[in-house]
Amino acid sequence: MIKKKKYFKSLDQLKENSVVSKIHEKEFIEKLPNDLLSMNNTSKSDSTHTRRDFLKMVGFTTAAASLAACEAPVKNIIPYVVKPEEIVPGIANWYASSFYDGHDFASLLVKTREGRPIFLKSNDKCSLGGVSARVQASVLNLYDNNRLKNPKKNGKTISWKKLDEEIIFKLKKIKNENRKIVLLSSSIISPTTNEIINQFKKEYNSSHVVYDPVSSSGILDANKIMFGLRKLPTYRFDLSETIVSFDADFLGDWIDSGHGRDYAKNRNPENKTMSTHFQFESILSLTGANADFRSPIKASKIGEALVNLYNIIALKSNNKIYDVNRSPNQEMLTKAANSLWKNRGKSIIVSGINDVNIQLIVNKINQILGNYDKTINLSNFSNLKQGDDNDLLNLLEDLRENKVGAIINLDVNPVYNLSSAKDFQKYLKNVELKISISEKMDETASLMDYVCPKNNYLESWGDCNPYSGIFTLIQPTINKLFNTRQLESILMKWSKLGLDYYSYLKSFWKKNILGDKSWNTTLHDGFLNNPNDYKKLLELSQSEVSDIFGKNGNSVSIDSSIKKVLLNNNQNSIDLILYSKTAIGSGKFANNPWLQELPDPISKTTWDNYLTISPRFAKELGLSNENTSNGALNGDVVSIKSNNISLEVPVLIQPGQAYSTLGLAIGYGRKGIGDAAENVGVNAYVFMKNFNSYQIVDEIKKINNKTHEFACTQLHHTMMGRDNIVKETLLSNYLKNPKSGNPELFLETHEGPQKPKNITLWNEHDRDVHWWNLSIDLSKCIGCGACVIACHSENNVPVVGKEEIRKSRDMHWLRIDRYYSSDMNENIAESQGKSTIRKFLDMEVPSKSENLEVVFQPVMCQHCNHAPCETVCPVAATTHSREGLNHMTYNRCIGTRYCANNCPYKVRRFNWFNYSENDKFDFNMNNDLGKMVLNPDVTVRGRGVMEKCSMCIQNIQKAKLEAKKQNRKLSDGEVDCACETACDTGALVFGDVLNKKSKIYSETKNPRSYHLLEELNTKPSVWYQTKVRNK
Amino acid sequence: MYYFCVAKVKIASIDMFKNYNLHFTLLISFLITNFSFVSSQDIELGESLFSSNCASCHYVGPEEKKLIGPGLGSHTIDKYSKDWLYSWIKNSSELIASGDELAVAVYEEYNKLQMTAFPQFSNEDIDNILAYVQVRPEEVILSSNEDLIDNVSDNSFSSESIFVFITSLIILFSCLLTLIKAKNLLKISRGQKPINIFSGINNFIKSNPAIIVFFSIFVILFCLKTIWDGLLTVGVQQGYQPTQPIAFSHKLHAGMNGVDCNYCHSGARHSKSALIPSANVCMNCHTYINEGQISGKTEIAKIYAAIGFDPETRTYIDNYIQKPIKWVRIHNLPDLAYFNHAQHVNAGGLECQTCHGPIEEMEVVEQYSPLTMGWCIECHREEKVNTDNDYYHEMNKKWVEKYHGEDINVNNIGGLECGKCHY
Repeated sequence: MIKKKKYFKSLDQLKENSVVSKIHEKEFIEKLPNDLLSMNNTSKSDSTHTRRDFLKMVGFTTAAASLAACEAPVKNIIPYVVKPEEIVPGIANWYASSFYDGHDFASLLVKTREGRPIFLKSNDKCSLGGVSARVQASVLNLYDNNRLKNPKKNGKTISWKKLDEEIIFKLKKIKNENRKIVLLSSSIISPTTNEIINQFKKEYNSSHVVYDPVSSSGILDANKIMFGLRKLPTYRFDLSETIVSFDADFLGDWIDSGHGRDYAKNRNPENKTMSTHFQFESILSLTGANADFRSPIKASKIGEALVNLYNIIALKSNNKIYDVNRSPNQEMLTKAANSLWKNRGKSIIVSGINDVNIQLIVNKINQILGNYDKTINLSNFSNLKQGDDNDLLNLLEDLRENKVGAIINLDVNPVYNLSSAKDFQKYLKNVELKISISEKMDETASLMDYVCPKNNYLESWGDCNPYSGIFTLIQPTINKLFNTRQLESILMKWSKLGLDYYSYLKSFWKKNILGDKSWNTTLHDGFLNNPNDYKKLLELSQSEVSDIFGKNGNSVSIDSSIKKVLLNNNQNSIDLILYSKTAIGSGKFANNPWLQELPDPISKTTWDNYLTISPRFAKELGLSNENTSNGALNGDVVSIKSNNISLEVPVLIQPGQAYSTLGLAIGYGRKGIGDAAENVGVNAYVFMKNFNSYQIVDEIKKINNKTHEFACTQLHHTMMGRDNIVKETLLSNYLKNPKSGNPELFLETHEGPQKPKNITLWNEHDRDVHWWNLSIDLSKCIGCGACVIACHSENNVPVVGKEEIRKSRDMHWLRIDRYYSSDMNENIAESQGKSTIRKFLDMEVPSKSENLEVVFQPVMCQHCNHAPCETVCPVAATTHSREGLNHMTYNRCIGTRYCANNCPYKVRRFNWFNYSENDKFDFNMNNDLGKMVLNPDVTVRGRGVMEKCSMCIQNIQKAKLEAKKQNRKLSDGEVDCACETACDTGALVFGDVLNKKSKIYSETKNPRSYHLLEELNTKPSVWYQTKVRNK
Repeated sequence: MYYFCVAKVKIASIDMFKNYNLHFTLLISFLITNFSFVSSQDIELGESLFSSNCASCHYVGPEEKKLIGPGLGSHTIDKYSKDWLYSWIKNSSELIASGDELAVAVYEEYNKLQMTAFPQFSNEDIDNILAYVQVRPEEVILSSNEDLIDNVSDNSFSSESIFVFITSLIILFSCLLTLIKAKNLLKISRGQKPINIFSGINNFIKSNPAIIVFFSIFVILFCLKTIWDGLLTVGVQQGYQPTQPIAFSHKLHAGMNGVDCNYCHSGARHSKSALIPSANVCMNCHTYINEGQISGKTEIAKIYAAIGFDPETRTYIDNYIQKPIKWVRIHNLPDLAYFNHAQHVNAGGLECQTCHGPIEEMEVVEQYSPLTMGWCIECHREEKVNTDNDYYHEMNKKWVEKYHGEDINVNNIGGLECGKCHY
């Protein structure tokens, strides 16, 4: 007679007096951990506290906490005890300084607030050395939480005094035993550091080995042979009418990052002429993306192509011609050679391959063309790269033979960036005294006996002699943050020169460089041009200098070079190019989250390195990339083997890359230098045998069932048909019609075709104060990304990490869109006799053609004067200002995201999380040190609000106030808009269009100027100028 | 009458620190207006001269108290002749150089520290000062204290009165109830029907439902309004008057001594922050003044402790680990609002008092204004733009046409836009 069904969870439950029934009587199976609540850990017995007590406690504490919260927290103001005269809290100070990390050089202005450096911009007075993205981001390295804070001995902290004593004692011992003491460094451009190293060498009979992880030994050696001067020349891209580059990424990372400025000077269609740029390269580089004529070429075929080019020019100049196979790129080579010949003395040819033979041929061509002393200047040589690869190979030999008693690393990391790092590591065990002077406990430092923490360059004094006639100073802009010393002081202490490097520097300059110039003025300006005494400092005597500079080089025979180059011409090899990315470079700054999150200009991928591969080659190997449903990119993983080393790397299919060539970026795969760099990518230096960036792959194998997740900010798009986003034209067409490529837009209405601005619902705004406009010249923008980092730095833009980027939640206020387009057009298709369907297919899909064209387009908030976002905001958090800006009020925003939805330019960014003080986003905003880089004039946004470009309104307000304070008119160019300030090529112009004399006003009147998506009639305050190619 | 006079002096002295050529105007105005109180007038004028010129180095009172110079009172002054005092005060170094015995003695006694010369003083001025010094004017201090006390009671009156009002209402109501109860008892004892006020009210309400509806609406609205007003005050710290680590008196420094606000808050004209002065700014005066009128040596000693100064030897202590002073911040704007002092003080030409209130009268500073957005906006609606500034020159040409020569307010040039303060 069951009246009711019985549900049970276990059979036990059906028994009388079972455990289950006992459990039933209790609300919780186990007693609450009362001991923890009562903090009474000593008693193991049951606590007297009941559940009610617990609730009472919870209730009471909640009430107490909420009552306490009613009280506003007491905030303190702590003024200086003795205020430094030059500091006024709230007002920024700017100091001139310089940057050099063994790779990039830049003359800087450092912005400090209350004694903290927070922003860098280029010192425009000094014409050399542009501020690249990497230099721009270097301010964050100062506040890296993973910097070494104390001297270490075998991993344990030791005092400087003890360290000095022990090291000096050991060095003396090794010296007396007549064993080698080796100083190992990258290129040193500081005259005083060199002097101190010489002192040290004298004191301990030591030797100094210089090597550059990204070496330019090839050029240096070729110049030594040809000119007797082992120096890099300076290249004048601004004076060149024809530029031919064989795999030299001179707008990216080749030699130094200052070429963009010069290059852009001659890329201005308003001058009526533009340089013609030919690029023969294997991977799609930033430089190739900007070239007028680009020819993908397999890396191992570059020598062949170069000899072909040489032959054409030699034929024209009655020089010796060599036997060589016809290059597959012969047509383009002929075109390049003709252009070079036509512009003799106004042309330039460069190659990025670190091979002395190739460089000799390049030198020879330049010599025939008479480019030396005109576009290529050896009398104003560069000191930026001095490394000698052979010296390092000799050192390895010495280490192997156990001849070295002590090795002192001066801020280099051979265990990471030598291809023979494993051997180096093995031999290192035999060295008695191992010292590293480093900012971080990097791969090498962690194997050393003593690690001496080094100051950041923003904490140091110093000097640079980057180019022969120019001397710059480095001055500290902040007190030392940790118990560190500067490199020079450490060496001075060991060579009994005391610790006072500043006095040493000053007296050295007074004696050798300054002449009658004032120290204070030089320090203020940051640099000194052609000081009287500088030639004394050079290794050469006065007569030698004039002797060499006067000539056009020796007439060296290149017979053997050409033979060797052609010998390397391997027909069926798979080539590997080891390149450096604009963001990470040689990998020294890999722990900089800004740089990790800066999308690669070409692949638009962040937080990764990968094997780039051409679409055709990928298809042959059965490799693919796939977009998941949310747009994130996944790629296959392969194992590649070269020089008996195998690595597993993800594959990224890169249109525009040469067939049978692979590209892999160096600088990744760092260990132990911080969370941002940890587990990001693989170390590609292991492949870089003999410092040659070009290697042969022995084997490439797909690893089945393994995919890699990329964080890519933009997928491959074709531009066909979308005329109003990117507009381009050819120089010849532009000269005929300045509006070519940018025709007037008309929309059909019932009253006939109308300009969009004439059909509007809205009234015009009142503009009687200022009207801020920004103009972006697509012809000058090279896509380097310096503006993106500048924006990060100025506006406290958070870093979100790889996972969030994959979800399209990047926070960049300013992005650079990279568009590919096919170089196929109707004329070419017809000449090739393509069918109509084939023609359009080839025009649509760039990847079908090995070659393609690239346009870079920086996009930020367009500050529309009829803004679609403003009308949909339910709380009026985004409003229009009298000065033409689209304001975003964070404290008013409730996060509906309607505005982002309604924005046609997709420039609004939503804070999905709190990115500061959140362990899930453990980047610089999550620690007190990293937060010191924040700009105090800009709010750190919280979760749930929208943000976007403000046109650096804080700087607009500042400039206006300065003018009012000084009772004067605001002058043009006074407002620093971070992206504009960072733009080395002058592509960005910012200003007030109500000022009819301003640069921006004339830009808006330029016939090339247009608005993005003009047909929507949003009337943006941002202008773009048609890209002009010189084809 | 004496009282009235004190008040006059007070007003005058406030104006004084705005006006630098003060003495003569003041003197003349006093001579005209208060002619009948010659003797007391001397003292008052003497006080004002003393506090702005002498007080930093001299104590006034019956005790033998040395600050920089000797404490002043009849006990010190009477030793010297009037003529001697005239020449000493006008130029002491001249007197010392002349070899005057008395003068040299004083000079030696005070470690050869020279007194500042006051050639601008007339003999009359000096008479007034001496009159003030000789009569220790305790009344002055008393009177100002009374002022303070009055103010305090004034402030507390409003809240107390509500309390008193409510209590008396309750008492009245309970008295009424007791009366009715007593009357009912009487009526019952007499066999009459007792009055039931509650049933009466009940009946009244039942017959007039409209009243209950209106009453409820009124009560609800009242509650809502109270809650709304309460919520609006959340985070508003108007009247916030924390105790500071050093009992610094603005009343003494800015009010009585007439120190210019910008002297200490030097950022106000240049920067977004007005700046709390660093201890070295305090030391500009307090190297010499180590004892104050209100709290003696204790508070000033705190500056010395911060910066490492030995008042005995008047030297800075070598290798002293300086201890910054942790002032309590009174005016707290939320981080999302950007405020710039220079814009308001320098470009806008506002007085400090416009926002900070009568600082020069505050012994302990309190937050005078609510610092709410409404308060900011209100001012931006009304405040005029200084179009004489050359920055506005070009724009003003257009404005004159557009606004027909009317004044341009801050809101005309976008002073109410969100992005001007929130970015």
